[in-house]
Amino acid sequence: MLELIEVSKSFGQTQVLKPTSLVLEPGKTTVFIGPSGCGKSTLLRIMIGLIEPSAGTVKFDGVEMTPRNIMQMRRKMGYVIQDGGLFPHLSARGNVGLMARYLGWEKQRVNARVEELARLTRLPDGALERYPSQLSGGQRQRLGIMRALMLDPSVILLDEPMGALDPLVRYDLQEDLRGIFQSLKKTVVLVTHDMGEAGFFGDTVVLLGGGEIVQQGTLDEMIRFPASDYVTRFINAQRLPGVEAKEVAAS
Amino acid sequence: MKSTSPISHLPAATLLFLVVATTAIADSPDLPLVRIGSKSSIENVILGEMLTLLADQAGGDARHQSALGGTQIVFAALKKGDIDAYIEYTGTLSQEILKGQRVRSDEDIRAALAKMNLAMSQPLGFNNTYALGMKADVAEKMQIASISDLAKAMKAANGSKLKFGFSDEFLKRGDGWPAVKVLYQFENQPTGLDHSLAYRGLDAGTLHVTDLYSTDPEIAKYKLKVLEDDLACFPEYHAVILYRADLKDRAPQVLENLLKLEGKIDNSTMMEMNTRVRIDHDRDINVAGDFLLSKLQIKTDSSEEKKWVVIGRDFVRNTTRHLLLVFCSLSAAIVVAVPLGIWAYKYSKVTHGILGIVGIIQTIPSMAVLVFMVPLLGLGEKPAIMALFLYSLLPIVRNTYAGLKEIPDNLKESAIVLGLSRQARLYLVELPIASRSILSGIKTAAVINVGTATIGGLIGAGGYGEPILTGIRLADVSLLLQGAIPAALLAVVVQGLFELLERLVVPKGLRLARAE
Repeated sequence: MLELIEVSKSFGQTQVLKPTSLVLEPGKTTVFIGPSGCGKSTLLRIMIGLIEPSAGTVKFDGVEMTPRNIMQMRRKMGYVIQDGGLFPHLSARGNVGLMARYLGWEKQRVNARVEELARLTRLPDGALERYPSQLSGGQRQRLGIMRALMLDPSVILLDEPMGALDPLVRYDLQEDLRGIFQSLKKTVVLVTHDMGEAGFFGDTVVLLGGGEIVQQGTLDEMIRFPASDYVTRFINAQRLPGVEAKEVAAS
Repeated sequence: MKSTSPISHLPAATLLFLVVATTAIADSPDLPLVRIGSKSSIENVILGEMLTLLADQAGGDARHQSALGGTQIVFAALKKGDIDAYIEYTGTLSQEILKGQRVRSDEDIRAALAKMNLAMSQPLGFNNTYALGMKADVAEKMQIASISDLAKAMKAANGSKLKFGFSDEFLKRGDGWPAVKVLYQFENQPTGLDHSLAYRGLDAGTLHVTDLYSTDPEIAKYKLKVLEDDLACFPEYHAVILYRADLKDRAPQVLENLLKLEGKIDNSTMMEMNTRVRIDHDRDINVAGDFLLSKLQIKTDSSEEKKWVVIGRDFVRNTTRHLLLVFCSLSAAIVVAVPLGIWAYKYSKVTHGILGIVGIIQTIPSMAVLVFMVPLLGLGEKPAIMALFLYSLLPIVRNTYAGLKEIPDNLKESAIVLGLSRQARLYLVELPIASRSILSGIKTAAVINVGTATIGGLIGAGGYGEPILTGIRLADVSLLLQGAIPAALLAVVVQGLFELLERLVVPKGLRLARAE
């Protein structure tokens, strides 16, 4: 699956990611959480090759990622960004089916797959024929997810996918997404700064700060056994009702 | 003009479709082809028509590339062999064309021309040089016949009231006022003003002396006295026929006929002919034909056609030529500029280079581009298309580059992470999203092109520039409008066509997105 070995990233003199190693658990959802600038998005972008690491290696299915094979690897991964990143010149159907058509799928097969995904993501009828500018934010995000799932990738990477949605739309989408991830048994990485969302999705939560992993485990473990003052402060800053992380033990 | 006469009876619509073939049809292999050129002044066009009529009468297949802009373009065309003969002035030859070669006499000029395989006739008679003029009645009353008389009068008590007004060029040129002032010892300070205002000033009596060209039609119209340049201050501008030396072997009869003009046209005759065209709006070909008949007893074929036939035929021809210029230059520009814009976007190392170069090209004046192109490409459509092509690059390159550059990063990244190749991203995502911007660049280029294509009139490429420039030369507003109105309408039509094209080319999703 996806594996990071001593991966780091610097822009000029500034090291935004200290050497980090991480193995993703197949079929599980891993959430990267932390404040802005903690390195969580950088880490995700390294995984799909949008950023080349300054040092260290990324392995996908045991093979080292290089500029030569990255294009092929991307086709086995799905990537979702805020607001969907849909192409304005293509209809919803055109957006979702673009890559399959490019790879030479037959039209019927493309359409069958698109419609299957529309049912899975509960996209409203008729939305497939509209253009991105005619759709709501929630619909656009569902399409972004459909596009990422189109080629049935083994890994799905999501960069703050629900950041721009209002709370009720977001609630529905979270429910649907978790159901999809669990039923399809995908390996998922989700980046968020929302502790509630992290707990809702994450089999494993990875808390980052200052360009490194501060603590890794379940949310419950973090609340009960925070690894440092930083973890305590971060959890309490979320003001989750009834949740208060303990002070770090003096030992 | 003569070259199209064999097909002038064909219906206009047929002509439209046959335009490309016309050159072939008009070629008559038995007759020696003689191409006459002319600069764009009234005088030069009349004399050009005269040469053309003479060449035709002597059995040549004569064509007149009329009103070809300035000295540099016409001389370059002669040197290149695109024209065989045109009217030049000895002063222009020694001061401008052969400048730096220290030519002092006509023999020097002939020797220098011979090296370029060119030859010069004997002077035709008139000397179109600078002159000082004043109202004839005033001059007579004050007994002023020469510039020396004028200088003397200025020193006398009653003469100092005379006011001098000169064109700015005359005031500044070394062989203009500065030379006159020194040689004839003037002490007064003339004022600078526009030529047409000067004539009115003379008429009204607020101005008494101005500079003229010695064959200006205004001399007769305003009853002016041209003062004798008794100390020979002004350089001599004798009109001569400049021709390619090989004309003597190629078409000896034609050359012989042309040279019949030597010594036949004096200053007053030339002035009268200028007056007929400039003031009376006679057609230059008729004026030329009348001269040949009355002075040389040569009857030429300058038969008058019905005016509307001429207008209709010219309109069809000009429209076709204009469209040809715009279409060819724009198509070539699209093929070159869109890839250039893509390169500028893809390779940041060349971005500044590409945008800089096309930007600089845009700032070169069209006249300079033509002067540069004619020696390379000759006269006609080629240099015009080349110039228009160059001017079309900037809007298309810029808009292609900007359209691609402006695509939001998240869309570019979305295309990358899908696993599309670089090529596929360009064709499936980036170019379609940038299509509106690219198309609007092409539209700008096309509209500018329709206007700029009027420069075709300067180098014999035809188009609406021909009636516009002729209209300006003859101060004939109706002729000017025959070019200006269709050019403006064409620009509007082009604009409309591109709006339709936008519906076809720009993806629906983008049009919806903008409507919101």
